[in-house]
Amino acid sequence: MNLPLKLLYIAIFQVILTSVMVFFFFSSEYRELSRQSLQSVENFLLEQKKRELKNYTALAVSSVEHMFSGEETINQQTQDDVVSLLNNLLYNGDDGYFYVYRNDGVNIAHPKEPFRVGKNWWDLESDKGEKIVQILLKKAKDGGGFHRYKWSKPSTDTKVDKMGYSVFLDKWQWMLGTGVYLDDVNQQVSKLQQEIDQHISRTQQIVLSVALGSIFILFVVGLIFTLKQKQRSDIKINELGQRIISLQEEERRHISRELHDGIVQMLVSIKYSIEATGIFLSQLNQEKPKSQLAAEKNLSIAIQEIRRISHHLHPRILDELGLSAAMDALASEFSELTGIKIQVITPKLKRLLPDNISTTLYRVVQESLTNIQKHAKASNVVIDLAVHQAWLTLTICDDGKGFDTNANINQENVDECGIGLRNLAERIEYHSGIFKVTSTDKGTKVTAKIPKSCFANHFNQAITEKNND
Amino acid sequence: MIKPPEDQQKISVLLVDDHPMVQDGLSSCLSYYPDIDVIGSAEDGKDALQKALTLKPDVVLMDISMPNMNGIDATEIITEQLTDTKVLIFSMLDSVEFVNNAIQAGAAGYILKDTTSEDVYYAIKTVASGKTHFSSSITKALIENPVRLEREKLTTREQVILSYIAQGHSSKEVAKILCISFRTVEAHRRNIKTKLNIDTFAGLVRYAVNQGLIES
Repeated sequence: MNLPLKLLYIAIFQVILTSVMVFFFFSSEYRELSRQSLQSVENFLLEQKKRELKNYTALAVSSVEHMFSGEETINQQTQDDVVSLLNNLLYNGDDGYFYVYRNDGVNIAHPKEPFRVGKNWWDLESDKGEKIVQILLKKAKDGGGFHRYKWSKPSTDTKVDKMGYSVFLDKWQWMLGTGVYLDDVNQQVSKLQQEIDQHISRTQQIVLSVALGSIFILFVVGLIFTLKQKQRSDIKINELGQRIISLQEEERRHISRELHDGIVQMLVSIKYSIEATGIFLSQLNQEKPKSQLAAEKNLSIAIQEIRRISHHLHPRILDELGLSAAMDALASEFSELTGIKIQVITPKLKRLLPDNISTTLYRVVQESLTNIQKHAKASNVVIDLAVHQAWLTLTICDDGKGFDTNANINQENVDECGIGLRNLAERIEYHSGIFKVTSTDKGTKVTAKIPKSCFANHFNQAITEKNND
Repeated sequence: MIKPPEDQQKISVLLVDDHPMVQDGLSSCLSYYPDIDVIGSAEDGKDALQKALTLKPDVVLMDISMPNMNGIDATEIITEQLTDTKVLIFSMLDSVEFVNNAIQAGAAGYILKDTTSEDVYYAIKTVASGKTHFSSSITKALIENPVRLEREKLTTREQVILSYIAQGHSSKEVAKILCISFRTVEAHRRNIKTKLNIDTFAGLVRYAVNQGLIES
């Protein structure tokens, strides 16, 4: 794994980590915050209700208070007046009413639940087991107090939270109370809660989608980057391959030249020195010693052998006379060796190609002829080299059995056809050329094409350079 | 055989070989033959051209593989300008193609470097007398692979001239650039037209461009 890819993974990891942290921390923080604010909203609402209740109660007390003035004991008539007054003193639709209990728990007035009137509710218990009337009485006696409990709401006839407020009328030992139902508060709070929840989940969705989007973008960018890099490294590998090949050719040419122009020439000069000795001896009327004859003979063999090696490494003819002549020489060597007839068609001009291209095409011919000799069982071969329109085209056709019926080879599937052809295809491709092998049971045709733009004016430039130095 | 007076009979020879050891070995052999006079030596094609033009030797013993200009191209220019000088190719290379190209370039003979000095001497004598000479193995190869004297193919010199002409130089200009006579250029031009079977100037230009000799 290379460094940029590593960085990409780190970046993706970072995004995921950040998103997760934002996701959870934000959620919990926000929830905590909203819980606090909801609490304060609820408190505020309750506070408002309490104030309301105090006001209403004060109002009710002041409207009945005058009836107490003067009288020391409870007068039935006055009680009835008070009850009827309270029965009519309603607020908040049907849900706001005043009730009255005596100190002993007997109900005096209850506008919405008349069945309670006249009965003792001292031991009335809520669902939680609280003795409601006793608590209310105690709070009232303590100077007026609030109490929350569940009570049936007249408008809906359901048991809901109620905030009660009761005061004690000392004169008559009565407790006057009222209350508001808190379901609307609860509703408001839960509606707020819902909105907050929605908000949180929306934010969570945004965080999630931003995170996923970022990861996706990072991934795509990384993918493109990696592909680009792969492309680049492919090109580099290809260039390296070509460089290796051209270095190899260069090295072969160099060694071949060293052998041919260095060692062989030295041996030749030694040969002539030995011969000069022979001539010198014959002028003294002496015969050549046997060892000298042997030396001459062995020297000739050595020269031949080195020349053979040199030629094998890099044919000299390619440099001196160009591709056409080199192909001619190769063809006659091949014919002599295999007995296969070979026809070479070449252009009227020579040395049009730069060295690397002519060497590559020469190797194509060499490899094709080797394949023909090994596999094709051909009896005729035609090599054709021609410049036509925008291309220099080299074809090598044989009438052999072909290597695979109806197989077609091009740059894509050339892999199956041995390392030799694959290398050649790559080398041709490197010169922006086209390499193709078609084979049927009637023979094989190898085609290599080089665009003219790769060599046009090469000969001209070469002679201009020569004339200038 | 009656030996004529030495000074008239002496054959002047220019040795062209990029390897001084070969030059030394060969000249030491040839020094034993009184009718051979090695008047100079050159180390590459260009050097050979210059020395041949100043020394005007009877025979140039010419190697093929050399830096700057190879022996065949040098042969073509020497025979073009010095009609009396014979060029005898003296090379390690024995492919028929080299022989063909050498003959086309105007070489009078072709001997291999592995021939004996006696053969070299004999070859020099033969080409100096106006005949041709080939090493026996070359002759054998020529018989086995009948010489397809590539009459329709252009020589290097002709290609150079075609390239100048196609770039719009007149024969006069080409003569000046290459330091040869106008008539020589015209002769080459005729040969090129015959070989390519093209009559017109426009046809020559088109051919040179189509074949990639020059850029369009």
